[in-house]
Amino acid sequence: MNALIKAATVIDSKSPHNGNVVDIRIKDGIITEIASTLTPSKNEKTITFDDLKVSSGWFDTSVSIGEPGYEERETIKNGLKVAALSGFTGIAVNPNTNPIIDTSADVAFMMHKSAGNATELFPIGALSRNSESVDLAELYDMQQSGAVAFGDYQKPVSNPNLLKIALQYTQGFDGLVLSFPQENDIAGKGQVNEGVMSTRIGLKGKPAIAESLQVARDLHILEYTGGKLHIPTISTKASVHLIADAKAKGLDVTSSAAIHNLFFTDDVLEDFNTNYKVTPPLRNQDDVEALIQGIKTGVIDFVTSDHNPLDVERKHVEFDNATYGTISQEATFGALLTLVSEKKAVKLLTQGRARFTNKEQSIVEGANANLTLFSIKGSYTFSESDIKSKSKNAAFLGAKLKGKVYGIVNNNQIILND
Amino acid sequence: MAELSVNHLLGIKYITAADIDLIFKTADHFKEVINRPIKKVPSLRDITIANLFFENSTRTKLSFELAEKRLSADVINFSAAASSVKKGETLIDTVNNILSMKVDMVVMRHPNPGAGVFLSKHIKASIVNAGDGAHEHPTQALLDSYSIRERLGEVAGKNVVIVGDILHSRVALSNIYALKLQGANVKVCGPKTLIPKYIESLGVEVELDLRKALEWCDVANMLRVQNERMDISYFPSTREYTQQYGVNKEILESLDKEIVIMHPGPINRGVEITSDVADSGQAIILDQVQNGVAVRMAVIYLLASKIQ
Repeated sequence: MNALIKAATVIDSKSPHNGNVVDIRIKDGIITEIASTLTPSKNEKTITFDDLKVSSGWFDTSVSIGEPGYEERETIKNGLKVAALSGFTGIAVNPNTNPIIDTSADVAFMMHKSAGNATELFPIGALSRNSESVDLAELYDMQQSGAVAFGDYQKPVSNPNLLKIALQYTQGFDGLVLSFPQENDIAGKGQVNEGVMSTRIGLKGKPAIAESLQVARDLHILEYTGGKLHIPTISTKASVHLIADAKAKGLDVTSSAAIHNLFFTDDVLEDFNTNYKVTPPLRNQDDVEALIQGIKTGVIDFVTSDHNPLDVERKHVEFDNATYGTISQEATFGALLTLVSEKKAVKLLTQGRARFTNKEQSIVEGANANLTLFSIKGSYTFSESDIKSKSKNAAFLGAKLKGKVYGIVNNNQIILND
Repeated sequence: MAELSVNHLLGIKYITAADIDLIFKTADHFKEVINRPIKKVPSLRDITIANLFFENSTRTKLSFELAEKRLSADVINFSAAASSVKKGETLIDTVNNILSMKVDMVVMRHPNPGAGVFLSKHIKASIVNAGDGAHEHPTQALLDSYSIRERLGEVAGKNVVIVGDILHSRVALSNIYALKLQGANVKVCGPKTLIPKYIESLGVEVELDLRKALEWCDVANMLRVQNERMDISYFPSTREYTQQYGVNKEILESLDKEIVIMHPGPINRGVEITSDVADSGQAIILDQVQNGVAVRMAVIYLLASKIQ
């Protein structure tokens, strides 16, 4: 694939071209030239867009797909296309499939099935066998097949000793452990944030301390064991404070927030719309403000879509019976741009790559062309036509978003939105 | 003619004070009707109503059915135990199947909060919520306020305490909305474990001491402890609950005024109130049941008039 990207503003703090408007020549998937003006040559595709910005390819740290087992929700092939059109050149995919990805063979299937696409798929292997939080899965073996981290998607490590052992054991091969922040006994049968709204509408509430209690426990264990811990999708003010303290102590911990938890408060639940039924639950204004502060200060390292496609049968039902989750990938950039500057947005959408894959990416000559192309101009109302996923369970339907993703360049391919 | 501001009765929080007033005035008329030798009016001869009960109910179901029959509506009944719900059919499919038989109105009780709201967005029929999980039970709150109005003249300015399991109670929530809308002062009383942490956001006060609550109030609405909705024990024993939150003759007689005792039923005699209280002149529990029919007639009549 040969291409010439014309007049793009580089947003990449690690690149010497950061902030400059440049032309970028790509030959066979490698950046060969970067200069203020390059002349198009034959047999190369010229890429021009209004207000074109280019950054290193974005990385989504929590994506659910469905395949294998839940192909009716999403397939690997289309899931990777959705990611590409949403600006992501790499996605870490959760093991919440059927069967659960908890062996080397399962990871190998994911790697094989996703190979050759523009967006790369990085499997997260289950931390415990069948994600039952009893015994560790074969973590090293999964890593050898391509797993980049280990966690039981949205199932907390209920046994603290299992987390202790996991954090100790993974140090032998530099493994990243994911611990979902929820104390199940306190969360009880809560479905939404415990607060004014849950009281008004009679839905069972999950108290914010169900999350922060687990975060406090996990950080305490990490302090004892050492190791690499990632706390995915935090949603409360107290969690932000706890993680800030842990980072100040020098613990090797990162955290993420899901874009819908940053964008919506639980006020939207008034109508019992099941697209707002998510885990962790949408919290109150105070928590959301703390989360936004957290992404601005860097306490929260990554913003993820926590994309979770669910077929209509799982959502077009009474609130109690609906499955948790929303598709958010198509809206992630547009929503994030309403909260922070484009520089900050890019940082929050790219930093996950190094944490999960141990690989840095930058816009320099000689590097792989792993790029996201976008604009920060304009605003739009997110609608059905913006959904590329097989499932349509989008919390963002009707939300006012900013900017536009033009597409990606990666793996010697160009994928652009129409 | 005055009409309701809504096409469904999904909860008290969706209606206005004027709606409540209209329902009560209409209920006054129907109360007179049901005390006649011929307790029936031909108002709804062309209306078919389906009573869909996805959760057990005795008095609410009977009360609705009587109300419908006294308005001369055609009535069909459906209960979940003997239905295809157990075979995995979705709520929308179940209801649409029933509606395809030309039903105009649905009265639904359902274990899930918001089930009525959900249904109202997807089907073409007027819906009356007969209780949806811990969300609302609007006709119960209406008949409760109607009974207070009947006994005390008006609801505005009265002090009402709701005692017991507030956490799992749709009756409490609907009553709070209804009483506040009519200008009453409301407190809730019970063990802290059974009171939602954020209940004060609804404009009510929390009182953990039953005696203080009774000394303050004009009306005490005693709720049943809903053991079936509890995932863990919220208090150590029924005995201890009764020691702290049970109303007996002794405590009532020690007050310097006579308060009104209400209960939405079914009563656990000897738990939340003793038999001598339940059967005393202070209790208006059976008036509530009788008023329930008149109030439900009013609700159905007013909603049906919006269909026609």
